Amino acid sequence: MITMNQEFDIKALSEKIWVMKQNAMELQRMGALFPALDRNIARILASLKMLEINITDVAEVDIRSI
Amino acid sequence: MRAQRWMKIDHFHIKLIQGKVNMISEQPYWNPVLETMNPEKLQMLQLKKFQRIFQWAYDRSKFHRSLYDKAGICPKDIRSLEDIRHVPTVEKSMMRDIQRKEPFPYGDALCVPLDEVAEFHQTSGTTGQPVYQPDTWQDWEWWAECWAYILWSQGYRPRDRVFIPFGYNIFVAFWAGHYGAEKIGCEVIPGGVLDTAARILKMQELKATALMGTPTYILGMAETARNQLGIDPTSLGIDKITCAGECGASIPSTKRRMESAWGAKVYDHAGATEIGAWSYECQAQSGGLHVNDGLFLVEIQDIETGEIITSPGRKGKMLITAFDRLAQPCVRFDAKDVIEWADYACPCGRTYRLIKGGVVGRADDITKVKGVLLAPSAIEEVVRSIRGLGNEYEVLVEKSGDTDQIALKVEIYPDSENNRPEIERELTDQLRLKTNLRYNLQFYSIGTLPRYEVKARRFKDLRAKP
Repeated sequence: MITMNQEFDIKALSEKIWVMKQNAMELQRMGALFPALDRNIARILASLKMLEINITDVAEVDIRSI
Repeated sequence: MRAQRWMKIDHFHIKLIQGKVNMISEQPYWNPVLETMNPEKLQMLQLKKFQRIFQWAYDRSKFHRSLYDKAGICPKDIRSLEDIRHVPTVEKSMMRDIQRKEPFPYGDALCVPLDEVAEFHQTSGTTGQPVYQPDTWQDWEWWAECWAYILWSQGYRPRDRVFIPFGYNIFVAFWAGHYGAEKIGCEVIPGGVLDTAARILKMQELKATALMGTPTYILGMAETARNQLGIDPTSLGIDKITCAGECGASIPSTKRRMESAWGAKVYDHAGATEIGAWSYECQAQSGGLHVNDGLFLVEIQDIETGEIITSPGRKGKMLITAFDRLAQPCVRFDAKDVIEWADYACPCGRTYRLIKGGVVGRADDITKVKGVLLAPSAIEEVVRSIRGLGNEYEVLVEKSGDTDQIALKVEIYPDSENNRPEIERELTDQLRLKTNLRYNLQFYSIGTLPRYEVKARRFKDLRAKP
């Protein structure tokens, strides 16, 4: 059986995702009157949510269980 | 200068990406962390995620808040997985009522402003008035994510060319399969409005490697390839097929027929418009479907007592929560799917729980005939296990006086007509063994019974309902 939990630094991945999300949200604020920016960032944020579901949520459980 | 720098980076990235695609393709799990997580930690994650979606629905949906307030339960009451059992369930009939209210056309279970709804789909209406399903773009990303888990576990990789013979329309399943395959990196061929023969020829022309469809349609395509085009489906080079919409790919005799007709591995998955794609059969084909425990909470409830079943060996109906679907939340939805926990682990290494034999029926379809509980999938298993019989069949239950009468229509191949007495005897014996019932058997020539492209309705209960 292959178990690879140990091979990934979930906390570090999660921090990088958080930074990406902050950057995306900042861009969205800056582009409030710029449809091509606003709508594309909305899509990026939806994709970032998938990273949160796959990784950040797990990191939060890790922190709770320590 | 700047453009040159970008070109260098692009060249570097192309090499890096190519190397990475090769390495990633060898990985067995879409999410190696979640799919192999130890069960205790997975349960902690499920509790946290249930609390989050419950709070979301409570805060934003008039329908959910009213339902929970009436039951005297609110988000702070959910402190353990056991507490979840006190949360009221939602049925499809309730959704139909909700959708008569504002905002049009979704009603007051909608948790986002209408402007944020990006996708419309609806249920097939096989059990009544269709239910409308709104999704935000994030929800739609999530649908594709659910399918990415399915397809990766079944061996789909960026090198695959996936043909989808689906009349792209208001039904969700293969739209999501399409986007999931794209997300993985596959090349996707939308086989939309082509007829069956044209679809087969396009698959042949483009050397497709994988296919998605309902079991009924996959079998029908093989028949068309052989009989109408003179093409042996095994020569087309399809090596995997993913089924949806019916439980046939988990019925051993139907799966065998499809695998033999196409020379391909056939995998099942289960999902629903109101829920999402919540389970999948992996490449190990261990006789069950993995529940995607990271994205869904599946509970099994005893149909008679309402008790939650946690151990293998007892069938019940599924209650399901989708943790991350936001526009119209799915919280303890009573899907009427009949399932049971498996009593073995899958050799693939996933810790996601297994349901034995997939979805074995619908609580709505399991009915008493002559006082005996009958699951229509048991009839399919028998019909398709008998050599000489075609893939199609139809079951009619009628009342004659006070007695239930059950007729089974089957198709027989011309070259098996001489063996009809033996086939009839085997069919009668197997049906009695598997279903405890006697049938009025009716034989037809191949091509007589109706063909279906999406969801087949082969079980017809014509008895007057009280």
